[in-house]
Amino acid sequence: MSTIAYSRDHEVVQRLRPEPMTQAEIDAQERIDPVEFDIFKHKMHMIALEGKETTMKLGASTAMRWGDVAFGVFTRQGDLSVCATGIYHHAVLGQIPLKYVVKHWVNEPSVGVKEGDSFFYNDPFYAGVHNADMGLAVPVFYKGELMCFIAAAVHTGEAGGTEPGGTCNTAKTKYDEGLLVPPIKIGENYQLREDILNMLAAMTRDPRTMILDIKARLAAARIAQRRVLEVIEEKGPEFFIGGLRRILTQTGEAARRRVAQLNDGVYRQPRFLDTVGTEAGLTKINLTLIKKGDTITMDFENSSPMLEGRPMNSFFQGILGLSCVYYCGWLFHDLPANNGLLEAIDWRFPDDAMVNAKGDASTSLAPLVQTCFTQGMFLAGARMTYNYDSSRAVAAWFSGFAIPTFGGINQFGEGIADITPEINATGCGARPDMDGVDAAGAFFATMSDCSDVEATEADRPFLYTFRNFFNSSYGHGKFRGGSGVGFGLMVHDTNRFMLGSMGGGSRFPSTLGLFGGYAVPPVFVQTVHGSNLKDLMADGHTPLPNKLAGIYAPDAPEQGNKATSEVNMVVKPFNDGDTYYVAVGGGGGYGDPLEREPESVLKDLRADRVSHFAAREVYRIVYDAETLRLDVAATEALRADSRKARLARAKPFAEFVRTWDSLSPPQEALRYYGSWPNPREGMLPVGQLKAA
Amino acid sequence: MTKLRITEYLDLDLVAERWQCNRCGQDLGAAQANYKEGCLVAERDLAEVHPPLLEGQAQSYTPDSQYCRLVEFYCPQCATMLDNEYLPPGHPITHEIELDIAALKQKHGLAANAAGGAKG
Ligand SMILES: [Zn+2]
Repeated sequence: MSTIAYSRDHEVVQRLRPEPMTQAEIDAQERIDPVEFDIFKHKMHMIALEGKETTMKLGASTAMRWGDVAFGVFTRQGDLSVCATGIYHHAVLGQIPLKYVVKHWVNEPSVGVKEGDSFFYNDPFYAGVHNADMGLAVPVFYKGELMCFIAAAVHTGEAGGTEPGGTCNTAKTKYDEGLLVPPIKIGENYQLREDILNMLAAMTRDPRTMILDIKARLAAARIAQRRVLEVIEEKGPEFFIGGLRRILTQTGEAARRRVAQLNDGVYRQPRFLDTVGTEAGLTKINLTLIKKGDTITMDFENSSPMLEGRPMNSFFQGILGLSCVYYCGWLFHDLPANNGLLEAIDWRFPDDAMVNAKGDASTSLAPLVQTCFTQGMFLAGARMTYNYDSSRAVAAWFSGFAIPTFGGINQFGEGIADITPEINATGCGARPDMDGVDAAGAFFATMSDCSDVEATEADRPFLYTFRNFFNSSYGHGKFRGGSGVGFGLMVHDTNRFMLGSMGGGSRFPSTLGLFGGYAVPPVFVQTVHGSNLKDLMADGHTPLPNKLAGIYAPDAPEQGNKATSEVNMVVKPFNDGDTYYVAVGGGGGYGDPLEREPESVLKDLRADRVSHFAAREVYRIVYDAETLRLDVAATEALRADSRKARLARAKPFAEFVRTWDSLSPPQEALRYYGSWPNPREGMLPVGQLKAA
Repeated sequence: MTKLRITEYLDLDLVAERWQCNRCGQDLGAAQANYKEGCLVAERDLAEVHPPLLEGQAQSYTPDSQYCRLVEFYCPQCATMLDNEYLPPGHPITHEIELDIAALKQKHGLAANAAGGAKG
């Protein structure tokens, strides 16, 4: 009985919330002892954590080794019950491929789902935020009966397509993105099928990493399978099936109770992107949160239309996935990360929108669309939660990526393609009671690490010229954002190599502040082709810059063909000795910078964590530049003057708006935007896609 | 409790149904309206907050003013920056917080049509 239509399945992706309870699950509930259930929950979480750690230890790609891993146990209907991850979008998205397997392959005679099988998937329509997110799942049988699925979803940094490193600035349709695999069987009888592995290897630039990552996922899943079977043996299959379901049910109920405590209202946050991939252009994601009773509805009306021929689109399910980075990590930080949380969340997507891609549109840069949107969740979420619990109201972490993407032949003559790991060294957003943590991680991958430079240098043809805190990388405020890092890469020992960059926010800051805190400054890439840096290093007599500020100094000793580029940079050739400099941003600022404790500014000055410019011009403190001693009276006077200056230059709202309203971006910046300023104004009304 | 702290800088007097500055108590308008209408507003020179670090290049850590402007909202009495917005030039100012005042009053045990409540 085939259910396959040889096209994407638009029904299964709607099933993001838990499936209805089965009779077996209902029957089991009465007989589950609450104490036994708590022990079971803990045991299952330990199994998932072990799975996550095993996957990381065995993996080969940058992201897998440094923690971009989600490992979970799913009900036999495909819902994710237990999950170990800091990549919270997988808590919602990880289940879709399993529901697809249940729907299409269980009763399909040519495929089937049997003990010893394994399934692979990377089409982001089902499996994640973009096609570099790849997953592997195994069904677990006990005495011939399907009990659950175990799966690992991990970012493998190369997926074919027009550019190496898993994202394609130049993609025009999905056919430019490379590998897009709906759930397929890649193993049976506890063996991976070599013909399928061979095909996957043939379609990507880094076959060794591709295959090692698949085997890492599978090995971890098999260890977890053993542990799960021990639990089933001990507790019995009825308890196991009922217990997995109870975790989901409890999560949903707890989420609804939490939401009911927040103030009812409408919270708005328009978000703007400044690139469409290969060129600059403004687009808007218009986020409205409607909080009523025990439900938060995310509405996207008046967002920019879908971009034809450009990769800056996302499937609606990817947007929901990224919303869970905020929900799991911040609002529901103390609840299990699973799709039961969506019992408290509803959504409305316009039919034609960049956040609701359709057909053959490319979504290769969906991660940027999604993180741009998630910023809005932080900002609107802070306004929604401050009164309930101010510790939830934090500024956002860096969202502009600025990830070096690369591909080519490494120093050992091997083909490689991937990204470097500094996205896992962005700064936290500032909080109501403290600065953001410096170089903390990525907001969507809070458990991830940026690796030692030596580990990256070992099998990539790079020499890091430096990597350290960058004091112009975060937003200022009463509390400042955590610092990001600046770094320099020199291509080393290869002349067959390409480097590019994936990201946004070189014109419009990607990461905003909160309650008067400032944004993270725009970031960009500087490159030097034909650099003399290698000669200067060999010579050894010239002091070389060891931080980004030194690279930008007018007397920087490095010579060559210097250029800057926005962080959406299409890959280009780099030869031995060519250099590449970029910063990953820090966090947004919190509160009025004039309220920052002067001593905190001085402490940052001593640690080179703030610039003298910002100390004087933004924080308005007066101090001796040599001794860094504060002049208390002069600081108070300067800050009082600064407040007076504010009132002097400001206008009443209505008067301000009269002048402001006459401005607009240039037409060339609005080519992809839709109608200005409300993208859908004047367009025909369309039906809305809505969760059941 | 009839005064709620809604953000770092915004209090809501639930009986009077008015926004107030948390730092100095300045009235900022009706709770149903955008508190920004009660603020003094200024556009900042982007380079004063985000100075260029690299001379003579297209990119330099300062936002592109064709794409982005910085608008600041000050308390008209104490001049605290209650919030700011980075917006494309001319994009409407956002009404970020629109609370359901009736629901809030019910939650805090206040009659729906208590004193004040005048809209606008
Ligand atoms: Zn005030």
